[in-house]
Order: sequence, then structure tokens, then C-alpha cells
Amino acid sequence: MTNAIQVLILGVMLGGVYALMASGLTLIFGVMRIVNLAHPIMIIWGAFVAYWLFKLYGIDPLVSMPIAAAFMFLVGIVLYKLVYAREAASAKYSEMTVLLTFAVALVMDGAVSTAFSNTQRVTSPPYATDAFIFGPIFIPTAQLYAGIVSIILVGGLFAFLQFTRTGYAIRATTQNRTAAQLLGVNVAFISLLTFAIGSALAGASGALVSFVFSFFPAKHWEWIAVLMSLVVLGGMGKLVGTIVGAFVLSIIAAFVGTYAGATWSTITFFLALFLILLIRPQGLFGDPIEGT
Amino acid sequence: MPELLEVHDVVAGYGNGPAILDGTSIKVRGGQIQCIIGPNGAGKSTLLKTICGNLPIRSGEVLLGGERIVGLQPHEILRKGICFVPQERALFPRMSVRENLRMGGYILNDRAELERRIDDVLERFPILRERAHQLASTMSGGQQQMLTMARTMIVRPRIVMLDEPSLGLAPKIVDQVYDIIKLLRDEGITILLIEQNALMGLKNADWGVVLDLGKTLFEGPAKEILADERIQELYLGRRSKAA
Repeated sequence: MTNAIQVLILGVMLGGVYALMASGLTLIFGVMRIVNLAHPIMIIWGAFVAYWLFKLYGIDPLVSMPIAAAFMFLVGIVLYKLVYAREAASAKYSEMTVLLTFAVALVMDGAVSTAFSNTQRVTSPPYATDAFIFGPIFIPTAQLYAGIVSIILVGGLFAFLQFTRTGYAIRATTQNRTAAQLLGVNVAFISLLTFAIGSALAGASGALVSFVFSFFPAKHWEWIAVLMSLVVLGGMGKLVGTIVGAFVLSIIAAFVGTYAGATWSTITFFLALFLILLIRPQGLFGDPIEGT
Repeated sequence: MPELLEVHDVVAGYGNGPAILDGTSIKVRGGQIQCIIGPNGAGKSTLLKTICGNLPIRSGEVLLGGERIVGLQPHEILRKGICFVPQERALFPRMSVRENLRMGGYILNDRAELERRIDDVLERFPILRERAHQLASTMSGGQQQMLTMARTMIVRPRIVMLDEPSLGLAPKIVDQVYDIIKLLRDEGITILLIEQNALMGLKNADWGVVLDLGKTLFEGPAKEILADERIQELYLGRRSKAA
């Protein structure tokens, strides 16, 4: 029983991190119908920003997180202007972005692999090896901090979307682009802003990832499937669904990892992706898929 | 004295394609429900999209209260007082009724004023007030159309343009929708609407315009158009046989 509570807590903490990692992906898909396969490599870029700031200047990744987010915000703006904006009018936009973002992922992967090589890295702030111990329950400090910060950030994103004027515009654009435009929303600007915010979320989660997991450029290929499984489980583009999906799958993966062995834990995500697409392709919170 | 809205010799079309509107002119008188009828492909929807700035104009003039509005962005035209409701459902399905109304006033900067106006509108539509926190997608088609109409009132526009407001609704609901349209008119909002179902549109309108191949063929009081034998044969008869 104690063991189960321990596993549950670890699953929840990791779920928070996964929710943050996937939130930018689902936001970008929701507003722009871009399936951003480059999202995980953007997380790696964020991780590198935090890694080097720690290595060179000793800045704690929790402190450098806003810097990583701001850096990726700018990268997002440049990418959107250079790559995505010019195809926005195409009828096959969604399909095209799969290839486009794949190419972007390759380029971004190649850039950091060449610059920093593909060795495993991890940021090691003082708390990286600490743990909180409550009687028989043991929680690694790094995962606890990363989980709490992620949950706060996702909560902040949620409040931003729910209560601010810009948040209304983003949600409206997600749900009915034409109507949003007719009511005075500048949808081109909202698309750019959303892409930049999604990229900033990738940067922020990268800073956390840098001390929770070890990372290297090619690791993003593994994350694409993991993050896609969360987004698909929740219903493509539904933020609440993605968050629920992240917690559900992380908790299941934590239990599978503990009781069936760590190698089986990753399979949870792939198996989930497979089963959702077979049984309920629209995901938990998605609208029924029409024949369009 | 210029009319409220005047369209002079407008030429417009999609992309590099042929001109759908090729020298179209209409005048919209203030305080009325004006209905444009005409066969499929007559350019009715194109005309509305051109007026609200969603489709660029190739040449010609659009004047609102004598002021030129050609070349303005759609949101600037909305600020000038022209509100367009497209044919397809124009709501945000996963937003509540109140949130939809809030989006209706997106261009307003004063949030307190926006909330006051929302309360005013909800006062007028008790069904919407009861359902203020319900998601738009969970309401019936008629209620959704009611919300769409009510939403236009938030910005207090001078003109509301409606593209086939009765499309896909049951006859009883259509009557309710036209009651709301008349309510908007009685509030002092001018209505410019287009209807595939010409009989339905003219019956509820004050003024009618017959548009075909991008040209105004005829215009006059809706009752006179309904009574005109030539128009009955060309534009109303064909429709009533099909229906």
C-alpha cells in the first residue's frame, strides 16, 4: 500500500511535467491545425539553454526557466514567420505541416547535434540528488519541484486562456476561425502569438526536463510518440483533455514501471496511442470525427 | 442625403478568378429590413462578404453614411457599425452563452460596459439568460441562431447583414428567427439579409432587391415584389415548385 502511494505520487509529479511538455503541442494544434512534430526538439533546445546557463554561470534551471521560455518564444516567432505563415492559406495546410514540422525537427536536431554532440547530459543543481522522506514514502526533490512548477505553469496557462481578452481570442480562434475574424479578432496575429506561446512552453518544460531526465538531441524522436499519445488521448487540440491524458498515462506508466519493470513503462504510451486510435479516435474529450 | 449604405459599381471575385460582382450597385435605407433575392450564384453572399471587408474589392465604392469604407480591415468596418453573420453557424461551440456574448463585444475596450451590455441583451432573451452558463453546442438549432442574433446586438451596430438566417431550421423556428430580426429592426438596427427561400425573405422584409448575375434587376417595397407577376414566375415560382 505504501509502495502504491509512493508510485502514485511519482506518477502525478511526472504527469505534471508531461502535461507541460504537451500543452504547447496541443495549443498549437488547436489554434493553427499544425501537428508540430518539432515540438519535442524545441523542448531539447530549451533544455540546452538551461544546461549551458547552469554549466557556464551556475544559474539554477528553475531560475533560468523564464530565459529558456523567452528564448524559445523568439525562436517560435522566427519559425512561424519563416516556415508556417507563408503556407497558411493552403487548403492542405494541416497535412503539409506534418512534413514541414518533420523537416524543421530534422534541422533543429542536426543543429544541436553538430554544435553539442549527441552525448547524454543532465543539469545537476544541488537538489538533483536529494529526496523528501515522509516515513516510508520517498519523493525525489527534483521531480517534486519540476512537478509543482509544471502544475503551476499549466494552471497559469489555463487561467490566461479562461480569463484574459487574448485568451478568449485564442479559444475563439480554436473553435471557429471565421467567426472569430468576423468579430474583430486578428487571427493572423493570434496564430503567431499562439505559436510563440506554445514554443515558450516547450522552452520552459525543457528547463525542467534538463534536470529530471537525462537528455541528448536525438531523444526528441522518442518524445514525439509519447507526447502525441497524450494529445490524442485527450482529443487533439483540447488542453483539458491533454492535461488529463498526461496524468492518467503517467500514473499508469509509473505503476507499470514499478510492477512490470522499467522497460515496460514506455510501452504504456505507445499501447495507449494504438488503443485510442482503434477504439475512440477522437480521444476522451474530442468531438466525434466526421467524414470530412 | 445619402442612404445609410450605398454600394456603387462594385467589382469583386475570389482570388484571380472571374468577377462574381461586375458593377453591382445597391442602396440600403436605414431602419428597414431589406432582403436581397436571386438564384444560386447571383452573387448575394459575395456582395455581403465584400461589404464587410472579408473579400477585397477590385473597383467601385462602398459608402456607410456617406463615408468611404473601401479598403478598411474587417474589424475596422465592424467598428464603423456593420456586423456580418455568415451562413454557417457562427458560434463558439465550447464556450458558454455568456462567453459567446463576450466574444461578440471583442472590439469593445471597456470591460464594465461590455458586461452591462451583455446583461441588457440577456434581459431581452430570457431563454438565453436561463442558459447563460450552458455551452453553445448543447442548445437547439433555433436557440443557437437566437444567440447568434443576440450577439450582434452587443456592439450596437448600425447594420446587421445576415446570410440565409433560416437555413436548416424547422418552419416554426424560422418564424421565431424572423421575430428576432424584426426585434432588431425595432431597436433601430438596419437589416440587410439574403434568402434562398425568396418567398420567406420577402414576406418578412420591408424592401426587396432582385439580384442576378451580379446586377440589380429590380427593387422596391417587398409587398410589390411579391405581387409582381414577372418576378413571381422567374424567382418565386421556381422556388415554390421546388419546395
